[in-house]
Amino acid sequence: MNSKSETDEASRGSEASSSNSDPTPDSSKEDSSPSLCSDSHSDNTQDIMKRAAAKQLIERYFYQLVDGCGNPNCDNKYCASSGEARNLTPNEAAAEAIKLFYKEARLCDSLPNKVPRIEAACCESSTSNTTNTKEKTNKDEKNLNTPSSSTASGQSGEMKAGTSQSLSQFVYKNLSFSNGAPLTEDRMYQLCDDCINNKSPQSLIKALAEAFTQPPILARSFATKVNTDHISTKEEKTAKESKAMCSSDPDKDIDCSSKPALDVASCRRAFEYLSKVPSEKYNSTLVLILATLAEYIQLDIRVGKMPIDDIINCFVIAFEVKDLGCSDYLEVALPALCDAAEHLPIKGQAKLARIWGQECKESLRHILEMLQQLITLRVISTHYTRTFQVQDDESVTKATKLMKIVYYANMIAGVMEPNTLREEPVVITNQLDPLGDALDHLYPLSSIKNSKHSQPKDPLAIELGVNVLDARKPYLPFEEFYNEPLSDTIEMDVDFANYKTDTSGGKKFSFLKYPFILTAATKSLGLYYENRIRMYSERRVSLLHAVVGASPPMPFLKLKVRRSHIIDDALVELEMIAMERALDLKKQLVVEFEGEQGVDEGGVSKEFFQLIVEEIFNPDYGMFTQQVDSHTVWFNPTSFETEAQFTLIGIVLGLAIYNNIILAVNFPMVVYRKLMGKKGSFEDLADWNPILYNGLKDMLDYTGADLTDVYYQTFRICYTDVFGNNIFHDLKENGDSLFVTQENKQEFVELYAEFLLNKSVETQFKAFRRGFVMVTDESQLTTLFRAEEVETLVCGSKNFDFNELEKSTEYDGGYTSDSTTIKDFWSIVHSLSLEDKRKLLQFTTGSDRVPVGGLSHLKLVIARNGPDCDRLPTAHTCFNVLLLPEYENKDKLQDRLMKAISYSKGFGML
Amino acid sequence: MAATRRLQKELNDIRQSGLKSFRDIQVDESNILTWQGLIVPDNPPYNKGAFRIEINFPAEYPFKPPKISFKTKIYHPNIDEKGQVCLPIISAENWKPATKTDQVIQALVALVNDPEPEHPLRAELAEEYLRDRKRFTKNAEEFTKKHSEKRPSD
Repeated sequence: MNSKSETDEASRGSEASSSNSDPTPDSSKEDSSPSLCSDSHSDNTQDIMKRAAAKQLIERYFYQLVDGCGNPNCDNKYCASSGEARNLTPNEAAAEAIKLFYKEARLCDSLPNKVPRIEAACCESSTSNTTNTKEKTNKDEKNLNTPSSSTASGQSGEMKAGTSQSLSQFVYKNLSFSNGAPLTEDRMYQLCDDCINNKSPQSLIKALAEAFTQPPILARSFATKVNTDHISTKEEKTAKESKAMCSSDPDKDIDCSSKPALDVASCRRAFEYLSKVPSEKYNSTLVLILATLAEYIQLDIRVGKMPIDDIINCFVIAFEVKDLGCSDYLEVALPALCDAAEHLPIKGQAKLARIWGQECKESLRHILEMLQQLITLRVISTHYTRTFQVQDDESVTKATKLMKIVYYANMIAGVMEPNTLREEPVVITNQLDPLGDALDHLYPLSSIKNSKHSQPKDPLAIELGVNVLDARKPYLPFEEFYNEPLSDTIEMDVDFANYKTDTSGGKKFSFLKYPFILTAATKSLGLYYENRIRMYSERRVSLLHAVVGASPPMPFLKLKVRRSHIIDDALVELEMIAMERALDLKKQLVVEFEGEQGVDEGGVSKEFFQLIVEEIFNPDYGMFTQQVDSHTVWFNPTSFETEAQFTLIGIVLGLAIYNNIILAVNFPMVVYRKLMGKKGSFEDLADWNPILYNGLKDMLDYTGADLTDVYYQTFRICYTDVFGNNIFHDLKENGDSLFVTQENKQEFVELYAEFLLNKSVETQFKAFRRGFVMVTDESQLTTLFRAEEVETLVCGSKNFDFNELEKSTEYDGGYTSDSTTIKDFWSIVHSLSLEDKRKLLQFTTGSDRVPVGGLSHLKLVIARNGPDCDRLPTAHTCFNVLLLPEYENKDKLQDRLMKAISYSKGFGML
Repeated sequence: MAATRRLQKELNDIRQSGLKSFRDIQVDESNILTWQGLIVPDNPPYNKGAFRIEINFPAEYPFKPPKISFKTKIYHPNIDEKGQVCLPIISAENWKPATKTDQVIQALVALVNDPEPEHPLRAELAEEYLRDRKRFTKNAEEFTKKHSEKRPSD
């Protein structure tokens, strides 16, 4: 063991005194190596083991220098007990310990008071070595404890540098490790009071440092009260040992597993009390302590020695620490904790999500805000380039990964519905394309089509059994998870590429796998790339078809319709396509109005959708009904239309998403939920028909025993069809004689909602969904978007802000934002009525809906179209370009503009 | 008739209770969702006549509130020329399914007897009611005489 024989005292003394400022090679390594270490983690457990062992050795040196071995007859001059070592400050001692480690100086044998620590350390290092490394075991052990061979010294140098940083951190500010009791609420109160009274944070900092730098102790802090006595006696007995459990041995782990659960509330109270102490006294220390904790936890996770429950407890406690508003927390401690959390196994992540969701609801907002701040700060302050993308920025990606745990915890903390309410999956009969299948073998690009099968669900969601569809009301609104600076920074093409390659085993990070953090607008860009890629792949396949000589299919989905018979023509054409070659639906849509010259670069199809939707949702058409109370449209349960027609509406809706077109439809949210696969339930009535919902809710809240008498309601309900007839329906057999009681009122309400939202429109909706799925089945729509976001995809955002539009508008052909005509234009536009603004939008963009993300995403261009003349303004709807002659005055501009937008239907060249 | 069990019960109860201020209840046997009846107010200026009203129950009754309209013209700040009345107890926000129709009718009768000019449907009548009560009363009495129905004799 104590291999290196004594060197002379003089040299040792000088080393010690100079240790603080000495720019030895060690300290220079210290600067460069942490990043190096973190990069080279890989999964080399052997390396980790060595680091752990090195750390323990350094600690042993440290204690030996500070506390001594306890043997009065000790003759080791590096040991405090020998009396030969002078008193060192902890900082000096730490530096010295590192040097001794390099020198492989002599270590005292096991000692009375420090025995457990050292024993455990030895035990740990040897056992882990034997278990994890095979032939090298003996050699390694030797390397660690005896003078080294050349290879080992190289490695240990790196190890040393990595650990020395954390060691010097936890040695920071005169910490001595004489006691290692877990923190309790009362103890925290006392420590805080002491700190306030004595104006000295020493004891508080010491206690915090002791607990936080030793995960096993921290894990047992704030234990549930019931068992406190048991624990505290045990604590006394094993006070010394527990400290040594820093790298606990297996026996003690079993002990730990029987420990009481963490009392989060108590922990929270304790840390709230901490905020009474002026934070500048402990802030910087606490940051270092947390960073150290994170490093230890990470090590413990990788080594796998510490029970996962204990590690989770440490995370929970670490994130209960509040009010660390200082920038160091965001820059040092939090990234370290994210880093550590990344290494949690799925089960551990799930456990953490559950604890957070069930017991720490109040903390979720705080945790989320901290993570958002970290990401935002990082994104704003970093300059990303093509070679260094956000996806490569580990502090962002790791924080995102941790945020995923918060995301699931947030759903658990909110209102979840049972996962039984599912729409039956739509099975699209195999879209037979024999040639295409054959080509798939020859031509791998078209295999993108099959990628849906390999797109795995999020493992954490599976482990937790949580599905976003069932999250009725998350604890925090989902919108709070959006990070806009990040969403704006992301290069979606790169992210999308990462997303796609990842499915084939790549290691690249893609934010599309963490869709909660991206705004709907950014994600829709991702969807756009996907759709385009599929469109192009379809195009290429059809090209190949042509080459092979088979019936050459159209590279586009081409519709030719007459303006006067738009519905009939479109439905007939689409029906034929759906029946004969459903695959064509995935091609890019090109619409042609008979007798018009418009070339469809997007503008014509926009108008086509606009007109179709206007017609179909007209109540006179009979397929949909207007719900007066909620201003929404709903399937007409008594419609005479065939299923095929509803399928076609579904196709239209899917095509609109697929071709990035916004529709003026006003479905209640339940339609989108149902499209995503979740059946309608009682809560959906809230936006389907708020008055009815409130009435039913009132009955649910009615607790009087006389419910049957008061309501006199049976299981037979009544509704009015489109013609005003009252139609009765029994929710259960013999519903007429079955009265609603306190006991069965819940059942009544559920059956009522089930009937209204699912059963009564089952055939219509099924057909509708089938059509929708025919277009979207292979896309990532359902994995990337929540129902609410699909709604924004379909109908655009409801925000109608023309100031935003003015700010984002660009000018061309000689105009600038300072041109008189432009200034006049905006002053006219801002004074327009809502209806006229809508018309203007319709005129310039071909749609009167606001795109996802608001009007600023419209990319409107106003171009000068010659000098003053009598021509009307014109527009290229496909590119959102408004052509405006430079009229001589404002009045003329207003007159021409109003004429143009008021009589604008039709497409032609002027 | 089924979902209307409650309505049938309420109708029977009201008919039996013999309300003095709401009489002559007529319900089409084929459609129990529409009731007609005579409001017989006690307070001047409306105590010289009777007013026919129609109550329309939605198919989803009692989970949705009924609607009330006056078939007889009335000079009243809370009832507009089309006979629409704004009665808080049956507004969508306040509606409680446990509320019985006789409670609704009583609220309506109370409103007819004592107008609430603070929440008017006809601002000019409310103005007159507050500024010149005498003139309001005179106008209302004349209007009632001219348009209202005959009060039942008993």
